[in-house]
Amino acid sequence: MIQATEAIKVLLGIGEPLIGRLLTYDALGMRFREVKLRRDPKCPLCGEHPTITDLSIHRGAADACAVSDNGHAAPAEAPAATPRG
Amino acid sequence: MKTLKEMLAEARQVVPEQGPADVKKRIDAGEPLVLIDVRDPDEYRDGFIEPATNISRGFLEFRIGGAASDPTTPIVLYCQSGLRSMLASKVLKDLGYENVTNLQGGFQKWAQSGLPVVKDRPMNADQIQRYSRHFLLSQVGEKGQRKLLRSKVLLIGAGGLGSPTALYLAAAGVGTMGLMDGDVVDLSNLQRQILHNTPNVGRPKVESGTEMIRALNPDVNVIPLPTRITVDNVMDIIKDYDLVIDGSDNFDTRYLMNDACYLAGKTNVHGSIFQFEGMATVLAPNQGPCYRCLYPTPPPPGLVPS
Repeated sequence: MIQATEAIKVLLGIGEPLIGRLLTYDALGMRFREVKLRRDPKCPLCGEHPTITDLSIHRGAADACAVSDNGHAAPAEAPAATPRG
Repeated sequence: MKTLKEMLAEARQVVPEQGPADVKKRIDAGEPLVLIDVRDPDEYRDGFIEPATNISRGFLEFRIGGAASDPTTPIVLYCQSGLRSMLASKVLKDLGYENVTNLQGGFQKWAQSGLPVVKDRPMNADQIQRYSRHFLLSQVGEKGQRKLLRSKVLLIGAGGLGSPTALYLAAAGVGTMGLMDGDVVDLSNLQRQILHNTPNVGRPKVESGTEMIRALNPDVNVIPLPTRITVDNVMDIIKDYDLVIDGSDNFDTRYLMNDACYLAGKTNVHGSIFQFEGMATVLAPNQGPCYRCLYPTPPPPGLVPS
């Protein structure tokens, strides 16, 4: 529902979409937290000197979805636990 | 008695004009300008410039306050050829609006320059009823609803995250929805993936999802994409959409979507969930960080629990 609401806001150009903010949700504690996100000037994709300028980095790795049901945890530095469809 | 020519000349002395290319630049730069189409509603419906509001010349003095309450708001007016709106701009100046520009050559010149125009089909009685609660919201209104009906959204994944998102967007009247997923419905999905139901176990998720969305709202044109997003198909697929929603369940896809959306200039509404915890953010190219600003590289495969 959060994604749908954000999508509608972006499409209509209304309100303040979650750009530069990460909203985390803990259902057991029923708590929402907001983490401010900044652009990383050293980001390999959108930084000042990008090293990723096309999608070739995604070639050579195993088929993108071979690990379909398998990608659910955040990297160590993640602000909150993470991913799963 | 003044002639029309004299009135126009008088208006031109106080109202600056800009051509289509200059006005387009201002819109693209995100300047908070108010664009007003002063033609009659039937002319407007036939084609207009996004994101114009239609206030016919005859109602301008009465309704301008609703569109621009602050006299310093930058306003651009246009009509069909640029003459009616020149006189209308002069009126706004007289009312005290300081920053009024007339689109030189009007809609006609804009369209002839090959710049994008938008055409609205009138809503039918069912649509007026279906979206009536949206009309009550000043931030949406009939204009916002038309915009939603013209919008094209791509959903990556018709699973746990994609299911509620697809249903809400369909209900809200997003006109075109690409639904992409290569999986089939499994009984174990149904406890959370509410886009699918028991009789559809074993069928491709996009088929099941397409039926559900069409039943919910026949206004939505669903484009079923029964395949996985890959490095080879991603650019070709996302180019047709205004916005991408990432409801994928693995890091490879997440990074692929992040990179592809950034390179294609598409906003990516990101979400992920694990057990009882979830997170969401909007990755808008050049307006905010991308996923790699948070996590530059994917975690090594061994570190990822299932």
